[in-house]
Amino acid sequence: MAAYLSMGEAHRRIGDYLSRVVDAISSSDGAALASLIAVSSAPGSTSLSDALATFPDFPRLAGDRIPHLADLLVPLLRAIHSHSLQRFADAYSSFEKAASAFLQEFRSWETPWAMEAMHTVAFEIRLLAEKADRELATTGKNPDKLQAAGSFLMKVFGALAVKGPKRIGALYVTCQLFKIYFRLGTVNLCRSVIRSIETARNFDFEDFPVKDKVTYMYYTGRLEVFNENFLVADQKLTYALMHCNPQSESNLRRILKFLIPVKLSIGVLPKRTLLETYNLLEFDKHVCVVLSGAIVTHLGRYTMLLIEICARGNMTFQYADVVTSLKRGDLRLLRQALDRHEDQFLKSGVYLVLEKLELQVYQRLVKKIHIIQRQKEPAKAHQIKLDVVVKALKWLEIDMDLDEVECIMACLIYKNLIKGYFAHKSKVLVLSKQDPFPKLNGKPV
Amino acid sequence: MPKIKTSRVKYPEGWELIEPTLRDLEAKMREAENDPHDGKRKCEALWPIFRISHQKSRYIYDLYYRRKEISKELYEFCLDQGYADRNLIAKWKKVVSMGQTNPSPYPPLTSSHQPWSSASGSAMVSWNNPVDKPSQDTVYYDPQRDVSVAGGNQNVGSGAPYAAQSSMGMTDASHSHVPYSSSVQHGYNTVEYANYYYSYPQATNDSSVQQEANQHPGAAYQPLTSFQNSGSYIDPTSNTYYNSGGHQTVPGYGSSSYYYQNNTWNGGSSGNNYAQSYQNYSSSDTNALQSSTSMPANSVPYQQQYNQWPYYYNQSVPNASSNPVDGKSTTDNVAVNTPSGYSYPSSQPPPPGTTSWKSNSVASVAPPVQDSHHLNFIMLQAPGVSGPQSQYGNQAQDHHANQALGVQWSQNHYAYQAQAYPQKTMNSNHAPLSNPEDQQRTIEPIGRSSNTLLNHVSENFQPNLQGSVTTNTSSESKIQIPTNPRIASGFSMVIPKSEKKPAYVSVSMPADNAKATQVGLDAVTRKAIADGTILTKNWDTEPLLPLPESVVGMTEASSANHSVPFSSTPTPRKRVKSRWEPAVDEKVTNKVEQIAKGLVNSNIHNTFEPKSRMRPAKKQKVSGSSSQIQNGNASSDSDKEQDLTKYYASATALANSPEEKKRREHRSKRFERSQDSSLKSRNSSANKDTMANMRTRRAISSNLSRTYEEGTRAVEDMDWDALTIKGTCQEIEKGYLRLTSAPDPSIVRPEEVLEKALAMVETSEKNYFYKCDQLKSIRQDLTVQRIQNELTVKVYETHARLAMQAGDLREYNQCQSQLKRLYAEGIKGCYFEFSAYNLLCVMLHYNNKRDLLSSMASLSKETKQDAAVKHALAVHTAVLSGNYVLFFKLYKKAPNLNSCLMDLYVERMRFEAMKCMSRSYRPTVPVGYVAQILGFLRTDSEGCTTDGDDGLQECEKWLKAHGTVLSVDNSGELQIDMKASSATLYMPEPENAVAHGDASLAFSRTNKQREHPMEQLKGCLQRSSSRRMWSPGSGLLALAIIDPCIQSCTLKTEEIC
Repeated sequence: MAAYLSMGEAHRRIGDYLSRVVDAISSSDGAALASLIAVSSAPGSTSLSDALATFPDFPRLAGDRIPHLADLLVPLLRAIHSHSLQRFADAYSSFEKAASAFLQEFRSWETPWAMEAMHTVAFEIRLLAEKADRELATTGKNPDKLQAAGSFLMKVFGALAVKGPKRIGALYVTCQLFKIYFRLGTVNLCRSVIRSIETARNFDFEDFPVKDKVTYMYYTGRLEVFNENFLVADQKLTYALMHCNPQSESNLRRILKFLIPVKLSIGVLPKRTLLETYNLLEFDKHVCVVLSGAIVTHLGRYTMLLIEICARGNMTFQYADVVTSLKRGDLRLLRQALDRHEDQFLKSGVYLVLEKLELQVYQRLVKKIHIIQRQKEPAKAHQIKLDVVVKALKWLEIDMDLDEVECIMACLIYKNLIKGYFAHKSKVLVLSKQDPFPKLNGKPV
Repeated sequence: MPKIKTSRVKYPEGWELIEPTLRDLEAKMREAENDPHDGKRKCEALWPIFRISHQKSRYIYDLYYRRKEISKELYEFCLDQGYADRNLIAKWKKVVSMGQTNPSPYPPLTSSHQPWSSASGSAMVSWNNPVDKPSQDTVYYDPQRDVSVAGGNQNVGSGAPYAAQSSMGMTDASHSHVPYSSSVQHGYNTVEYANYYYSYPQATNDSSVQQEANQHPGAAYQPLTSFQNSGSYIDPTSNTYYNSGGHQTVPGYGSSSYYYQNNTWNGGSSGNNYAQSYQNYSSSDTNALQSSTSMPANSVPYQQQYNQWPYYYNQSVPNASSNPVDGKSTTDNVAVNTPSGYSYPSSQPPPPGTTSWKSNSVASVAPPVQDSHHLNFIMLQAPGVSGPQSQYGNQAQDHHANQALGVQWSQNHYAYQAQAYPQKTMNSNHAPLSNPEDQQRTIEPIGRSSNTLLNHVSENFQPNLQGSVTTNTSSESKIQIPTNPRIASGFSMVIPKSEKKPAYVSVSMPADNAKATQVGLDAVTRKAIADGTILTKNWDTEPLLPLPESVVGMTEASSANHSVPFSSTPTPRKRVKSRWEPAVDEKVTNKVEQIAKGLVNSNIHNTFEPKSRMRPAKKQKVSGSSSQIQNGNASSDSDKEQDLTKYYASATALANSPEEKKRREHRSKRFERSQDSSLKSRNSSANKDTMANMRTRRAISSNLSRTYEEGTRAVEDMDWDALTIKGTCQEIEKGYLRLTSAPDPSIVRPEEVLEKALAMVETSEKNYFYKCDQLKSIRQDLTVQRIQNELTVKVYETHARLAMQAGDLREYNQCQSQLKRLYAEGIKGCYFEFSAYNLLCVMLHYNNKRDLLSSMASLSKETKQDAAVKHALAVHTAVLSGNYVLFFKLYKKAPNLNSCLMDLYVERMRFEAMKCMSRSYRPTVPVGYVAQILGFLRTDSEGCTTDGDDGLQECEKWLKAHGTVLSVDNSGELQIDMKASSATLYMPEPENAVAHGDASLAFSRTNKQREHPMEQLKGCLQRSSSRRMWSPGSGLLALAIIDPCIQSCTLKTEEIC
């Protein structure tokens, strides 16, 4: 780009840009329009922003030339200009004005030809708001732009979530909203959007674009994890995983990050047969465990890919110990794993989920004791003395007194991880003769 | 009160003419009703209400009986609807019939424009009085502003505003008399007026303004006396007329009109003399200057200005703010003078007249357009401030006294400050500043709308200042203040030739070089603001005068200082205003210039100080104002003072007249008491004051810079430091009362007293309710004074602990959220202990996993090593896995007050445990075992069971209450039949479930009621904010009181306000 731009050239470029926008609108070319109004990624935006810098009177130019779209174009040009100068807060404010004007126009268009542009607006406004907030935070001001973007997107959602052809674009905006809400930590605001998406009778969810569905499922799945609805979370996250573009590694990893603990918490553990089938036993042990636990049971075709993903991502290290401890009934290992990765787990919000696996570990431990006992003295196999459990725990370097262990046993029975009863007088755990350790089989504890 | 307006009511003809006025009055009434009456006597609180209701009645009465402008039908309608008090009117009628009936000077309303002209006579009268005196006085006085520049002039300058005031008072007096009682006077006035008017050109030629001034005092004084006699009578409608009249008669003369309006206004409010006089006086100064200068060239610019005025006025009130935007300095002036501005339009009789009329609409019959709104509002408010006294109470005397003082001032500029005006000391001390302040004060009650005015007012000042500056320079100025040159330079561009005619200069400046002037004006305004803030600080810290009449401003605690009726809140108001009204342009200003001005101002303060010291009575007050002390270079201005005295000897003589002395005495007595108390408090917090001042300064400087940068400020940018008050209350014990108005420093305790109070609470033997009440009031005082330090943390910690012990989760949550913020700001406290509490609270009492996660994630490694935090985390594990045994073990070993928070969860945990055990144990479990693991038995450190019987019985009782089936086995031990129990187990009603035994404090633990604490808080806030919506002041208050982090609610409040 030439260092010096003549006034005339600048004028021409701006004029050119304006006419392209007008052409795109008049010819109902949504894709072209979308690319034109993408502030942060518009093609040729550098040349345009140069022109804007050279020709500071551009608002008047735009206003004069295209008066009927001045509301849209003037702030849009301002936004592009501010963005090129790295003044994101200003850019955001201008862009929001432009976006409002665009929304106004969009409402009046009968067909959803401009859906792509609308999506671009929704996307851009979120990006700009994030940048603006970062800028505001560094200057010590109140970063409230993302919030403002959220409320603007709610308006957009209102314009889209109606009967008719425009509804197909609603899910995209929903996902943008999710991203904003998750970032802001105002997750409860998602509820209203979800309700309006899921209760709509006149529009089948499956008709939405796949990418939106995947994103939507991912976020709603995460929400369910927070709510500890592991079954629903499992469904949603699995759906997201199954439909996710296998090329999009980071997305897959993100989904797995939540799906694995969910799977574990509903008792889905690796099946040996599967592991053998895919010849994973020689593979990195941890990866095998993880995969067998969370993925392989459901996904045959992506196995190798997912293994790589897990290996590259940090997840193997994070989850391997957890899974191992579950398999072994090694309470100590679980606690160590939790302790080691506490920060990450807390940050991603799965800490509490993993913590709850403790009872399953206890169950596994008791089961192991039971198996050993059955081998030693089959007659008394279903009577497990409390002392034995205490001893086992001691061996694991977990110091619990009799009362506590008794309490844990009671809890296991209460939570239906063990069938049987506890005789207090004799301090004996009496197991049911059939199926003393029921599988969770997808039921959460 | 009027009945509800329904569509069915048929409004008689002419209603639309009077409706706006009545509506305005009603609005005022509402405001008066809602006005906080803290610190007022019971009857005092009612004064404004009475006054307004009288005003309404009088309005209708005048319209019907005196001016005969409304039909009987309309009159009856008003009576029926309750707009007027029938009995009151009857009484007035009776009085009138007994005395001589006054022929109403006014023509009927129907005559449209003519009324104005006809009114002119009266207008002229009023005008005359004020104009003559003030103009002369002002001439001298304006220089006063320059005071900083010229030593001799300084004194004068300080006097100037007052002089103006006095003239105002005079005007008022004449005013009230003229229209109603004495037709003779009226005529006389007009004559004078005419003379004056004609003489005006002549006067201009006179080079010595001073002479005129000397003459003037006498004149002013007389009116004053008349005023006294006149008492409190007010005629709103007549006021309108006056204004119009003034306009017509004095088409070219802007200043005259200005006075005029003021007069009118005063008459209308009867009580308002002070406030108005303040407003007026600034303008009057200008006017006076103009008159004195009387340059032909000058007159030309004037005319132009006048023409502009109508335009401005026609625009809606908000325009006032927009005026600056126009870029004409003139506009600024106009805006300032707004009240006066109305009169200006007179040159174009019909339209301007109307506008002016509108502005006065309160009094006026016909409903003006929107323009008047703003102004009216302000005007109304002003009466509200000072009005009650003069009208209703015996305090008419006060009013009178004030006026007298004012007179003195005008006459004896010098002496007056110290002597005559004990009350006003503050003002007089700050003389240069005082003008704006006073004006502001009057406006304060209005709140926002007033802000605009304030701006204007301040702008008004500028002209005066400028004018004075130039004058001073021209005259021999003894005082050499470094800053002076700057100021002079700033203005020099504007006023090259005007030096000799200060008055003119001030006015004309805009015309000459609009831009330059504006800059200068802006600078001056800024300066005024800055000074004002400083002053504010002083005021805040200042001892409290009882000031019954003081109108409590919004956030300002300044009320304490308001002993003087008209003097209301301090300058901070102004700042607020400026922020809220971005329209007031703060564009161009040169920062340096501003600072320079600020310096000048401070200098002025200093100069005044010595004077005040000369008078013993005053001394105290002066010392009271910390800013002065701080600034106190204490350069003795006494010699200058003496110089001045020469000039004003005659005036002094007047001031010293026995009558005057008596008045003064009376006045000073009234304030003796308050001064004492204030002194005391001041001493105790002297160094605090200094600190406060420093803070203020910082705030100011930051503020200035911000202004410089942005030009407009949002509410969130408000500089709370500058608004912070300083308590003076010495009581250690103080109950909590939710603030419904701006805090009053006299009932707010300073930090060291709060410390004692905290110690008192800690050692107190009384119950939680008492302690909670005390702590809340301590917290309130801390918040109001914005004290955030270790003490604050300590108070919150103490309260949080007490609340935990009492199971008062609500209070605990409040404290915890505050503590979180305070800790985040790096203030030391028991951070570990309270992060443990926070964890426990979140995990046990919030049902929000995200909150738990985030609070767990926020713990640092170091924090996790703390025993209390470890304990809390262990509790978390126990709860998560349902390990009730561990839970109760931890419960027994809980460090600090962790057990108190766990207490509230115990019941639930026990029930969960019972459910679990009844499912898993077979066939029986001994009660003793259950009692042990469920924490019924208290065990000592060795694990031995102590007082087992009590625990057992308690456990048995609990088990029975929860529906377990008990049986006795062979050995005689009580057993729980688990199988049977599993079917019968239930959670009893909550009242039984209060673990800590005090049902009134129980935090209900049923699921439904386990509302998220944040939700509770929010609801509480919303409720409180909705209740606070009633006045603009309260909105601000809410902002100040409530945790600043919760801005949404407060902002909402503001919007509504």
